[in-house]
Amino acid sequence: MKKLINRHPGPVATWALGLLPFALLLVVYLLASDARLEANPNDKLLPSFSAMGDAIQRMAFEPSKRSGEYLLWADTLASLTRLAIGVGISALMGLIFGIVTGTLPYARAGLSPLITGLSLVPPMAILPILFILFGLGELAKVMLIIIGITPFLIRDLQQRAREIPAEQVIKMQTLGANTWQIILRLVWPQIMPRLISAVRLSLGSAWLFLIAAEAIAATEGLGYRIFLVRRYLSMDVILPYVLWITLLAFAIDFLLARYSRWRYPWFHGSH
Amino acid sequence: MTRLLTTVCTTALLALTLTSPAQARDSFKVCWSIYVGWLPWDYGAAEGIVDKWADKYDIDIDVVQINDYVESINQYTAGQFDGCTMTNMDALTIPAAGGVDSTALIVGDFSNGNDGIVLKDADTLEAINGRRVNLVELSVSHYLLARALDSVGLSERDITVVNTADADLVSAFNTPDVTALATWNPLLGTIKESPEANLVFDSSRIPGEIIDLMVVNTETLKANPALGKALTGAWYEIMGHLDDSGFRQHLANIAATDLDGLQTQLDATRLFDQAEDAVAFTNSPALKETMQKVAEFSFDHGLLGEGAPDAGFVGVETPAGVYGNSGNVKLRFDPTYMTMAAEGEL
Amino acid sequence: MAIIEMNNLWKEYGDQVVLERLDAEVQEGEFVTLVGASGCGKTTFLKMLLGTESPSRGELLLDGAPIPDQPDETRGIVFQRYSVLPHLSALENVMLADELHRHKLIGRAFGGKRKALKDAAMAMLESVGLAQAADKYPHQLSGGMQQRLAIAQALMKRPRILLLDEPFGALDPGIRRDMHHLVLDLWRQQGLTIFMVTHDLAEGFYLGTRLWVFDKTRLDPQAPGAYGARITYDLPVGDCDKGTLTAIQAQADATARTMA
Repeated sequence: MKKLINRHPGPVATWALGLLPFALLLVVYLLASDARLEANPNDKLLPSFSAMGDAIQRMAFEPSKRSGEYLLWADTLASLTRLAIGVGISALMGLIFGIVTGTLPYARAGLSPLITGLSLVPPMAILPILFILFGLGELAKVMLIIIGITPFLIRDLQQRAREIPAEQVIKMQTLGANTWQIILRLVWPQIMPRLISAVRLSLGSAWLFLIAAEAIAATEGLGYRIFLVRRYLSMDVILPYVLWITLLAFAIDFLLARYSRWRYPWFHGSH
Repeated sequence: MTRLLTTVCTTALLALTLTSPAQARDSFKVCWSIYVGWLPWDYGAAEGIVDKWADKYDIDIDVVQINDYVESINQYTAGQFDGCTMTNMDALTIPAAGGVDSTALIVGDFSNGNDGIVLKDADTLEAINGRRVNLVELSVSHYLLARALDSVGLSERDITVVNTADADLVSAFNTPDVTALATWNPLLGTIKESPEANLVFDSSRIPGEIIDLMVVNTETLKANPALGKALTGAWYEIMGHLDDSGFRQHLANIAATDLDGLQTQLDATRLFDQAEDAVAFTNSPALKETMQKVAEFSFDHGLLGEGAPDAGFVGVETPAGVYGNSGNVKLRFDPTYMTMAAEGEL
Repeated sequence: MAIIEMNNLWKEYGDQVVLERLDAEVQEGEFVTLVGASGCGKTTFLKMLLGTESPSRGELLLDGAPIPDQPDETRGIVFQRYSVLPHLSALENVMLADELHRHKLIGRAFGGKRKALKDAAMAMLESVGLAQAADKYPHQLSGGMQQRLAIAQALMKRPRILLLDEPFGALDPGIRRDMHHLVLDLWRQQGLTIFMVTHDLAEGFYLGTRLWVFDKTRLDPQAPGAYGARITYDLPVGDCDKGTLTAIQAQADATARTMA
């Protein structure tokens, strides 16, 4: 008999074991939901799957009675637009400042303490200031994402730029490169796949800030809808929305990972 | 998000350990949140008045303050509490629409200026046309706005509602792109202090429509009349202290204001400190009409659930008769206990 | 005139003396191999030639002028690792020098110019035996192929001096012999001056025209850093017998034990 520590599940068993917790959760939910619905058919806390199906049907495939919009898609578009602008601007700033501070000692000396300081400010704590500075419109929501993740991106990419082996920087110089060319042909291309990794890591926070901003003031968006229907305890809408956000987050992460493998094979081959 | 997660988790656990509300028990929990009409509950709990009445009927009552108003109603609806303070509209759209049969045990007051609409650069309500209006969507502010628009021949299509968290409304008003909002006290009072603010409509124009209640679970109440008697008895004893300076100071402290500030809020509140007045208000046919308006507003905004075929889907029982579906009565205005208080039978 | 000249050259870090009183001249076309125990300043000396370290005292002259204090195209370099750029294919690595030269602003060439650069790079790849691997990334190449690529990349700039910092230290013996042939061929063809640091004394003897042994002539076991290393042997290679080799090896081993 092999020791437990030396026993490995086969491929089928691995899948089965992986799915088991999900199946258990589902069963627990179904039992609890049935029990509550039996006591009170109008119960809103643990809606049945058919109620959630109806809610999805209503939110996604029927125009809203009030505005005529397909709410799920309108919310998704609004949220993804904010997320894309916020993360896009953050990534661009992270790239520029990360490269500059990671490559040029003078820039690092001048900017690093400021960036470190900024990265320690909890973004949610300055939310009231943000709203006063930028209003309650789209700008404040995007700014919250930017303020929330840019310092992390800059610091991470600065670190990654500094990790480029000194040998390669010297090699570039012996090939006649000036500072600008070293950045353009050595640092920038090598930082790009690392930027994608850093963005993948920061997406969780970006979603958090997006939903927080939408909960506070908005007219549409995934976070807005969840916090609106929370007011009358519409779990049949909230639960599918949470699943949908999870799915979107997973899909974005998956696509970024795939893109990085396709576009930067050298990075994934040597790591 | 965290709060949402907590709700989901606690309700999941709760579902598994649910005790039937119909059983006779001797220990109860009620919750309240900060609002001028409900502050006296804290005084009653702190001064032992609630305990005294509970002892009289041989039960225990735990009075818990919950910081977030909507969360307190959600907790009540989930069955965590036997009673909770809320407005008539929220009682209809959250517990009642969620199938939790609820009784308005005590009609405490109605808003008589505590809710209002504020505009910048204009002093008539008509100027709201075309603006973005910041408010807590689907709250009584939203209802007030709908009634206000109605009064000048406008509708919600003429404006854009921007859902804004109550905690951020005051700072929102200081930003240039916010030019219209609807809210309640004490936020309204703070916002009115701004020189740019013009109050163009308030709840004194629709008196008796925004009502603050102590709501308890109907089944629990039926099985435990002692709970109704103890809460009602305690409430009117607390009301007897209305003019005590200690009482007022206590209320001002928890509302984080001073005595003048408290007085301003009380002035905008029609507090039924005499049980007779509350009974008369509850018995009047106007209450049924009010609940019809509230139900119609709620139905138009999808608050009664998508399965609701019309505004009367959830029946509301008042002494003047039942509004809506008498086969699905989930909210009951029952003056029985207040009458007992008025007649000194508690 | 000598291409490299040292006059009373010292290198110190604080009170740690690494190199002291170096005096030598190297003529164009010489192949100098540098051997010695670890910590005896071979690599530090190479870094001074490269320009990433500066002399503390004395002079280090290139063509009679102080050597530039940062790396530039007069001196090519091949390190033991990380010499080639991982994000460029073999061909792009070799084309890089010309591309940087052609376009100062973007460091890239397009169209017809690119075609010409490509042809030149292919010819260089062919001469180091990597024509088949032109489109591969470095991580797809073996260690030996990567070092061939690094040499090819460095030579595209036609440096007068080529610095090799233990370039074959991580390679298998069979591959090393192939690399030796390659380096000797290129050295003869292009008339390079080469400085090569190696741990392998036999390699030093085999490859160079001149062998320098770096060692400490004075050694204080209580303070190994108090005295610096000097060039203790400066041998024209081929002009030595087996006894010399054994003596150098024994001396280097003794130093290494004391410093360890």
